[in-house]
Amino acid sequence: MDDNKPNQTVIEAEVPMGTVHPAALEPYRVRLFVEDEIVRDAEITVGVNHRGVERIMEGLPVEKANSLTEKICGICSNSHIWNSCLVGEKALDIEVPERAQYIRIIMEELERLHSHCLYLAHGNEVLGHGTFSMRLFYIRETVMDLLGMIGGNRVQYGASILGGVRPRCELDDNRIQQLKDGMDLMEERLTAFADRFVSDPMIMSRITNVGVISQEDAIRLACTGPTLRATGVKKDLRTEMKEYEPFDFEVITQDGGDVKSQLLVRVFEIPESIKIIRQAIRDLPEGPITNRSWEMKDTPLTKSYIEVPRGTLYHSYALEDGRVRHCVIRTPSMANIGAMQHACIGHHITDAQLSIVQCDPCFTCTDRAIQIIKI
Amino acid sequence: MSLKSYSRGRAVHVMLVYTGGCNGCDIEIVNCILSPKFDAEQYKVFLTWNPREADVLVVTGPVTKYNEGPLREIYQAIPEPKAVVAAGACALMGGVYKNCHGDIPSEEIAGPVDQIIPVDAKVPGCAVRPQDIVAGLVSALPLLLNAE
Repeated sequence: MDDNKPNQTVIEAEVPMGTVHPAALEPYRVRLFVEDEIVRDAEITVGVNHRGVERIMEGLPVEKANSLTEKICGICSNSHIWNSCLVGEKALDIEVPERAQYIRIIMEELERLHSHCLYLAHGNEVLGHGTFSMRLFYIRETVMDLLGMIGGNRVQYGASILGGVRPRCELDDNRIQQLKDGMDLMEERLTAFADRFVSDPMIMSRITNVGVISQEDAIRLACTGPTLRATGVKKDLRTEMKEYEPFDFEVITQDGGDVKSQLLVRVFEIPESIKIIRQAIRDLPEGPITNRSWEMKDTPLTKSYIEVPRGTLYHSYALEDGRVRHCVIRTPSMANIGAMQHACIGHHITDAQLSIVQCDPCFTCTDRAIQIIKI
Repeated sequence: MSLKSYSRGRAVHVMLVYTGGCNGCDIEIVNCILSPKFDAEQYKVFLTWNPREADVLVVTGPVTKYNEGPLREIYQAIPEPKAVVAAGACALMGGVYKNCHGDIPSEEIAGPVDQIIPVDAKVPGCAVRPQDIVAGLVSALPLLLNAE
């Protein structure tokens, strides 16, 4: 042993977590390799939830396959069905009525609101702040009621169909009034929450400089969505989508890359979503909500990217005799797993769960890949 | 009434296990117990993640092959008397994942839940509504309270 160094033993150990673990809401497995309570390496294993949705979709009629994509995720279900319908509409050259586009945007932004509220509630629960967590669950109920009112179900509402939206999701005057009132209530409650959250010195000191992802690493690891925006990269796919062209909103970025920036990006994105919903209600065009004059034909592989609450979502499939072939779905959490592992490294083991939760993981979405053992 | 069942009636601990559902039911159950709107905690129903502390096991999702072993282990770790509630369409009959093409069973799914562990109460719905979960939990309680 080198004489200059003090004679101390460094304990190296492996700390496994999962697949069912108290702090993790979903089943997944994390292996943390620690050295004196400092995480030196982390490994996240997914595949626990694999149900083979793409394989089930193979050969289904396109209308059925679209509604099946909704069952991939219970948090961002509208994003999946919307993107799947966009693929079909792009392939079959279906023109979607403008009113249907606006209703889809309203559903998507409502979903972003409840997803971000859930993220902040889960983050506060992991931080140990139960009061804020319950407060956010309470605020979230307003959005869930609105989604239930429009779609008829609180979680899987199935708004989009090929060529427009379902007749159940038509917005009449009564529903528009409820939406307006709901948005006012949301803004009031969330402003009160954000003021208290940002000005709380205990929470801010707990989450500053924890789980840092630098901008270079975020770009190298191909992060998407709010996880990337929290490192200072101004990239939001909504600014490039033609559906979002009529709306005026800001892309929120933060510079730190730590847990504080990740939480604050979501906190400040919520008012932007409320702004988009208000613009959509104000400018809601008249007209039909479904275009039924389209014909089925065989199409090559068509793809579509949209921005969902967690990042960029990719769907692609080809059509043969009205049936889906070669379906591929890639969800944002898949891209963010690298960031979750990277954020744990170099920090204390008690911060590991926070470092993983800060990237807003959704492992039920993520379990796409299978290991082929023999052919 | 024994002391144990008396104390159980005062504080029912629910353990929630995710076995590969879509997160919809899971968040509704957490919402039902924790959130101030439904708030099952006011009826002394608490959420726990420790099987040795739990009285009621709530299972969601079609049980994937990977999750079959952990689910059996969790069931065995819960002390007697215990009750199992299967919540959601997937847990009851496999949902959209089990019977993928007509009658061809899926290779990924080992469930539904009642083929793996005995189920006492079933809560239907996709996703389950919080009101139904409270009703399902209440219907499983006599098993705990009337046990010897």
